[in-house]
Amino acid sequence: MHESLILEKRRTQKAEWVLRLPSILYISLMILIPLIVIVQDGFREGISELIHQIRLPIAKHAIVLTLWTSALMTVINAVMGLITAYVFVRFEFPGKRLLNAIVDLPLAIPTLVTGVMLVMLYGPQQTLGRFLSETLGIGVIFAPPGIVIALLFISFPFVVRSIQPVLQDLDQTQERAAATLGASSWQTFWRVVFPALVLPMLNGSLLSFSRAVGEFGSVVVVAGNIPLRTQTAAVYTLGAVESQNRLGASAVSVLLISISFFVLIITNAIQKKMGAK
Amino acid sequence: MKNITKLILILTIALLLVSCSGNTTSQSGDEIRLILGAYTTPREAYGQIIPLFQDYWLSETGQRVSFEESYLGSGAQSRAVVDGFEADIVALSLEADVTRIQDSGLITHDWKAGETEGIVTTSVVSFAVREGNPLNIQDWDDLAQPGVEVVTPNPKMSGGAMWNILAMYGAALRGRVDGVPGDDPVAAEVFLRKVLSNVAVMDKAARDSILTYEKGIGDLAITYENEVLVGRQSGQKYERVIPTSTILIENPIAIVDANVDKHGTREVAEAFLDFVFTVQAQEIFAQHGLRVVNQQAAEASKGLYPDIPDLFTVDYFGGWEVIMDDIFGEEGVYTQAILQVQRGE
Amino acid sequence: MDQGKKGFGAWLLILLVVLYMGFLIVAPIVSLIQGAFQEGLSPVFRSLSSAALFQALALSLKIALGVVLIQLIFGTMLAWVIVRQDFWGKSLLNGLLDIPFAISPVVVGYMLLLLFGRNGILFPLLERFGIRIAFAVPGMFIATLFVSLPFMIREMIPVIENLDRQQEYAATTLGANQWAIFWRIIFPQIRTALVYGMTLTLARALGEFGAVLVIGGGVQGRTETTTLFIFRSLDERRFTEAYTASILLGAFSVTIVYLADAIKRRQKKKEEIKDLQASLSFKS
Repeated sequence: MHESLILEKRRTQKAEWVLRLPSILYISLMILIPLIVIVQDGFREGISELIHQIRLPIAKHAIVLTLWTSALMTVINAVMGLITAYVFVRFEFPGKRLLNAIVDLPLAIPTLVTGVMLVMLYGPQQTLGRFLSETLGIGVIFAPPGIVIALLFISFPFVVRSIQPVLQDLDQTQERAAATLGASSWQTFWRVVFPALVLPMLNGSLLSFSRAVGEFGSVVVVAGNIPLRTQTAAVYTLGAVESQNRLGASAVSVLLISISFFVLIITNAIQKKMGAK
Repeated sequence: MKNITKLILILTIALLLVSCSGNTTSQSGDEIRLILGAYTTPREAYGQIIPLFQDYWLSETGQRVSFEESYLGSGAQSRAVVDGFEADIVALSLEADVTRIQDSGLITHDWKAGETEGIVTTSVVSFAVREGNPLNIQDWDDLAQPGVEVVTPNPKMSGGAMWNILAMYGAALRGRVDGVPGDDPVAAEVFLRKVLSNVAVMDKAARDSILTYEKGIGDLAITYENEVLVGRQSGQKYERVIPTSTILIENPIAIVDANVDKHGTREVAEAFLDFVFTVQAQEIFAQHGLRVVNQQAAEASKGLYPDIPDLFTVDYFGGWEVIMDDIFGEEGVYTQAILQVQRGE
Repeated sequence: MDQGKKGFGAWLLILLVVLYMGFLIVAPIVSLIQGAFQEGLSPVFRSLSSAALFQALALSLKIALGVVLIQLIFGTMLAWVIVRQDFWGKSLLNGLLDIPFAISPVVVGYMLLLLFGRNGILFPLLERFGIRIAFAVPGMFIATLFVSLPFMIREMIPVIENLDRQQEYAATTLGANQWAIFWRIIFPQIRTALVYGMTLTLARALGEFGAVLVIGGGVQGRTETTTLFIFRSLDERRFTEAYTASILLGAFSVTIVYLADAIKRRQKKKEEIKDLQASLSFKS
């Protein structure tokens, strides 16, 4: 009895490797090796040189610009995503189905197309663009606001779709209890509903942040790419690659990858916590 | 439902198999393929020259030559070739981009040996101004005026942009800019900084820059004369203003030895190289906004291309090596200037 | 569903959302369509008959479909291994899966350049076999494979987690072999997720830009995808062509995602009905 169980276990283990080996190979080849190559290239001349490259004024500015526009976008996206999810789950109104479907559009539209569309809408020769720049003095295209808008567009679904299912499944007895006890809808929301949504909101926000930091297709069309003014890290990297500034490209890439890693770790932890609940 | 899924899977595989067919080109006796890696500016010109060459080659040798063309920013194209893009012929914006390919070992002959030292077309740095020239931009000093918005591409990303910087800095050094004493590097750098502080957008390539200008950004664009003319040919309403002192942009063309030998295309590549210097081809360049090296064609197009009072070349600075270090290096004049400009704001 | 009194506050919020989404998402799309047809219908139709556009579309499709196929096989395999197996390094594997999502496409292209470019690490080896990867379609294929990696896997993992293992055990005891178990028990349960994953992968692959820009070389007719075509058309002042291609690409991607979404929703409804029936029959 015991022996056959051991044999069975060994056979299953061997069988497992039939799928496991190709899987591991696939990931190693596709992800691990390129990552290792670029990290190794970034550190090629030592960590001090890498830091020097990142601290070069144009590079540093690009990184800072990327981080703050992504952060600003994330905050706006979190708030609007929360409101949007709430509106979709809790209210009924004409056109809701259509609107709900539109939420996913940014996921399907290629980022380059997004950039093209935004230039069409906000370019100085268009009515809206001219109104904004001449009447209100706000430059959208070729200025940071344009970057933030592009990032908002591409990241819109993340927070909404993170919160929606959780809100949908939320048990409303507590809310009703609070209402009976005389709490206003505002209080009810903040103290009963919101706490349950914090984790999904964070999850979606972090996702949109990490996505935004690396965004290229829409930003390169919309931003104007002026070094030290509207050039993001991804565009800087492209410039470095095209001018054969290998070390610069690798250094900034390594930094961007590290940021992504960091955010991903936090996101994973959040997802685990969400799963445990 | 189940059927639909199966259908999708089968369709996928089928489409893939179908589309996998017919992608290899034969290098047989009567068909040969030439790969051209060029910068963006002469795209339209080559669009016309290549069919002419194809006809010529067919009648001369009975061989059909097909072209694969890639047009990128000069620097981008150069690094692409170095990185493995197997162009048989490169036609780039500046000598340094060809030298880079030569330094990588892909070009082994002296490409500058010919009559024109490897230069197939030229242009000059000039301005594109709005229709009617409302701000009355006439020369370099107008660019340093406060409140004037300028667009020019980014020298770190574009060969065309380097020409622009060299033109303005050179003109200043040569004493041809009003208000800037000649032979005074400090004064010239101050002038450079003034202009740079007026820059609204710095695109990654010359073509991008003029397109940005067309979208309404900026009062003027510093660009190649060629870009202004090609833009006007496609219906743009801006006007060309040539400063009194400017740099001669010399565009090289060269065969990439390693690739032609690998592809077995040396003969047809050399023929193409000869072809672009013929009157026929040069006239096409002239029709597309480029100044030409062929005397006859140049004479014929004199009306389009006025003489420049003070025309200088990279030799004024001591050649590209000096330029890459002293002007565009980490401590170079331009690098320092742009840093100061942006920090000052 | 809270059907209670919809006060002023509620309508304000709804208005806010409608305005926000209108400005952020709908307005640009309308602009694009408007811009494309600015000069009438015939320029658009002319663009549609452009050979270069056709070649670009064909290349985009070719690469994307190939990517979908590979992700289908390997993605499902990976998801299976992650859910059903336990081994050292599994959490590392799991963590790595999300990386492509967060890495800038430019960096992806650059990484591949470091590997496959003329000065790249793998270049000498590939040269010996005459294999061209950088500045050729294989390089663009690999780049697209990289960026679309997470989509299929992330779709499949939850579905595989929810598989009914009772059925599998039952089938094993009855003597069914692995293949039969897969096709007749597992596959029906995962096929909706498969379709959805394939669709997301397809949409992502078609829209890839930054990575193929770096590794591709942009040779018209050879290494030019639809996105690169759009980029080049903007450069050449062929705006109608650029906008038309953008609309084509966008419309196609949006359509397939919505179709897949519809399939998913229908599946969900089916399951809800099944659950309802099950609970009812249990009660009776």
